[in-house]
Amino acid sequence: MYYLGIDIGSLSCDSVLINDDETVLATSVVPTGARNKESIARATEETLRAASIEKKDVKAIVSTGYGRDRVEDRLSSVTEITCHARGIRAMLPDTRVLIDIGGQDSKSILLGEDGKVVDFAMNDKCAAGTGRFLEAMARALQVDIDEMGELDANAQGGLSISSICTVFAESEVVSLIADGTQVSEIVRGINNSIAFRTLSLVKRVAMKPDGFAIAMSGGVARNTGVVSAISAALGDINVSVPELPDTIGALGAALIAREKSA
Amino acid sequence: MMKEYFEELENGLQTAIDNNQGSIRMLYSLEIARLGKRLYSGEDKVAWCGIIAPFDLLSALDVTSCFVEFIGAMMAATNVAGDLIEETNHIGYSSDSCSYHRAVMGATMKELMPKPELLIGTTCPCSGGLAVIENLAAHFEKSFYLLQIPQDQAPKNVRYLADQMREMVSFVTKITGIPMDTEKVKFAMETSNKIREVLIEIFNLAKQVPSPVTGKDLSNFGIVMALFSGTESGLALAEAFRDELKQRSQNLTASGSNEKFRLLWIQNRIQFKNPIEKLLEDQYGAKIVIDELNDVTWGAVDPDDPYEGLASRAISIPFNGPAQNRVQHLQRLAEEYQVHGAINPCNWGCRQGTGSRGLIEASLKEIGVPVLNLEVDCIDHKKFTEGQFRTRVEAFMEMMDS
Ligand code: SF4
Repeated sequence: MYYLGIDIGSLSCDSVLINDDETVLATSVVPTGARNKESIARATEETLRAASIEKKDVKAIVSTGYGRDRVEDRLSSVTEITCHARGIRAMLPDTRVLIDIGGQDSKSILLGEDGKVVDFAMNDKCAAGTGRFLEAMARALQVDIDEMGELDANAQGGLSISSICTVFAESEVVSLIADGTQVSEIVRGINNSIAFRTLSLVKRVAMKPDGFAIAMSGGVARNTGVVSAISAALGDINVSVPELPDTIGALGAALIAREKSA
Repeated sequence: MMKEYFEELENGLQTAIDNNQGSIRMLYSLEIARLGKRLYSGEDKVAWCGIIAPFDLLSALDVTSCFVEFIGAMMAATNVAGDLIEETNHIGYSSDSCSYHRAVMGATMKELMPKPELLIGTTCPCSGGLAVIENLAAHFEKSFYLLQIPQDQAPKNVRYLADQMREMVSFVTKITGIPMDTEKVKFAMETSNKIREVLIEIFNLAKQVPSPVTGKDLSNFGIVMALFSGTESGLALAEAFRDELKQRSQNLTASGSNEKFRLLWIQNRIQFKNPIEKLLEDQYGAKIVIDELNDVTWGAVDPDDPYEGLASRAISIPFNGPAQNRVQHLQRLAEEYQVHGAINPCNWGCRQGTGSRGLIEASLKEIGVPVLNLEVDCIDHKKFTEGQFRTRVEAFMEMMDS
């Protein structure tokens, strides 16, 4: 039998299909867009097609993410906190602190030794330090968001973006461009700013994070510049990134679907 | 507008109660409607007060008194607070100050606050409330008396506040022109003492496992009951709650309960319509069994010489004094009510509450009680984002359930 996890975030809709052995058979990430029902259908279809599985063979679906209640044929919906914790446990079992930076939410999750959620903290009603923030900055810089990691690697460092608000940060970036500041330096400044926000989230669940295995999930984890800025902000603690970090929530949902329908 | 609102509310509730469709919560709302009607009648001598003013003493002096935050909560319950709050941007209120107070000031600017005869400020629980009293005094050109609440129960402090209360009586009687009737004061104090006894019974019933209360039953209860202290209707209301909970408790023993999690609510509830209690109960079998402000922290008052007792009562409120008072009080409540978790709404702009947030969280975790810190404006529904709110609450419950 097969189990499907669907994570409907504000930027992307991710799905993961597993079998009874908890082996990942297929994944897909599609933009959420304005109509999440369509993206749910598309993500489901793409995943099933990639695994050559028919929907009728899927025993259970668990949905997560902000649009979790939109999945009609779900067995249940579970929050992204629980799903990310479950997903990271499967990928990087030693993880005790998980940082997840999604489209409009960032969160830190403290896991117990048994992998269960012990505490969590989420960003408040503001997109600063999230995927949306990064997207707005990439737009202001006129660079592709996927190039930002590479740009960061070429920076000397030292610059910081002081504005926390996405709108003010965007105009700060525009002013820096106008001043002739190198794009790579601005990118580093942006990453430092995200790292600064993330650090306070981590400290809300683990005042002294050293000694804990730290991992990062969510689409922003693909950006190596952000990951190394967070690692530096934490005091040079290694931050592990699992394979396909944007599908960790959906993977957790698929694993929960299997457990719940056992 | 508000007068009509409270009249309609009273009539609607009375009809439902007469038709035997009333719940204890309806009786409570009926008392609130009656108080609202009196405040807006234009006939009563009204005093706007700080939260821990001696309402029983004021009622014995023939003054209809109420803390200003009550109006903020009423405006929130009727979904008009958001617009009123925006009004206060024009008079220099910072957007990150407490919305209870901003709603009241907005209502004042829109002429929705009844004109008081006098005002009684209290230095506790927060300076924001006192600033509102001062603003209202200036706006309505009325005098106010300030009760400076000492921080602990040292005998000299109790005497100091008792003397202020005596002086407050002179201040009030001079303004109203109604002399103090010692028999009335004695009756009010005796009634307050009876209410106190009944409140203790109610809270002891709520402590039972499983608890006979629903998550909504005792919401805002302790703080609002203070407004009815010293009155026969307040006593009748308290007795109705006690009798209903006793009855439920007996039925529970027979029929069992689906109570899975018991929760402590820190500070005030969210005052506008929101899904929290239903979400907790329906989805997770979780019940708010205790609110921080639902407690009796004072002793009986001597009806023949009430001032020391009233002073001690005001000082005893855990919001008074250092944060340690709140911390220890919350730890005690968590243990006595055997809660599994606590929710702190961290009302936006509350200087009193936000400063203690970390200390409260740490102290409850120390005794094994996890805390969910929300970031909610408990008054302004326009700032409420249900999706984010649900995710936090659901994740917290999933965490406890795992
Ligand atoms: S919420 Fe805080 S600031 Fe507002 S009235 Fe209550 S104690 Fe004062």
